[in-house]
Amino acid sequence: MESTPPTALADLVRRAQKGDEVAQRELIVSYQHRVAGFVFAMTNRSDYVEDLSQQVFIKMIRALDRLQAPAQFESWLFRLARNTCIDQLRRQKLRRIFLPFGEEHENIPEPAGAVGTEELDALRHALGQLRPQDRALLALVQEGRSHAEIAEVLSTSVAAVKARLHRAREHLREHYQPDHET
Amino acid sequence: MLVSIFGSITNQTMKPEKQAWEDLRAHASSRLSAGFADRVLRTAHGPTPEAWRLLRESGARRLRPGFAERVLRAARAAAEMPSFASQLALSAATAAVCLGAVLFFHQRRIDQADEQNLAEWRRIVAFAQEIDTSGP
Repeated sequence: MESTPPTALADLVRRAQKGDEVAQRELIVSYQHRVAGFVFAMTNRSDYVEDLSQQVFIKMIRALDRLQAPAQFESWLFRLARNTCIDQLRRQKLRRIFLPFGEEHENIPEPAGAVGTEELDALRHALGQLRPQDRALLALVQEGRSHAEIAEVLSTSVAAVKARLHRAREHLREHYQPDHET
Repeated sequence: MLVSIFGSITNQTMKPEKQAWEDLRAHASSRLSAGFADRVLRTAHGPTPEAWRLLRESGARRLRPGFAERVLRAARAAAEMPSFASQLALSAATAAVCLGAVLFFHQRRIDQADEQNLAEWRRIVAFAQEIDTSGP
């Protein structure tokens, strides 16, 4: 996981806030892989990754001047990513209500091994069984967010985050079967 | 004598039973696929950091080269595009101008009609007065 020193990151964010395109580009390049991985973990759809990541970064550029504390950039960016993914999943769910036959075309599972190893397939399968909110929680932890930061992202208490995280991990373990058939 | 007969009977009956248990175990264990123990351990411990790393990398690989440039271009295009609020304001202004024009022309037509009617009435009054003055 590549990371920029906090002071350098804050400077970069400040420059990007002033409209410096070089700084904005640097921010995108620094975080594009992490955001893409987060989007993939959240949606479990390869074909959504580029579009949703692009949406996240466009929102980032447009809303960057409203970010009060540049040091909080990372958790703010992942909040944008989480909300963008959850909005997309909600829209997809709504579309299914109105277009019930769309589901079979929308959820074509990638065959086992098409994306990666048995372990990766198992993780994707297990994540697919969780609620998007729980997936977001686990993915945020994997992104190195602290419990306090996640509590801020979800507008809840640290204790609630710990409890939900414990439940989410239990569910993930229940569904994590590395020899499953995708 | 009796003991040896009993012994030989139990040996004869136990042997096939033991064999049966062994067959059962062999059959059951043949159902387990290779690497069973590793998979059990993996399931018990949950996804490893390696699995998460693979997931992140797999997601990152979906981005086509030149992603940052595409995002900046799209952001620039989005900034140049009029916002929803400004589009709404323009629509409201257009509607107000149209309504104003309609009201103006409607009022003008009413005023013209009133003027015409008044002129008609004045003519009738003048004609009536003329008849009164030139009466018998």
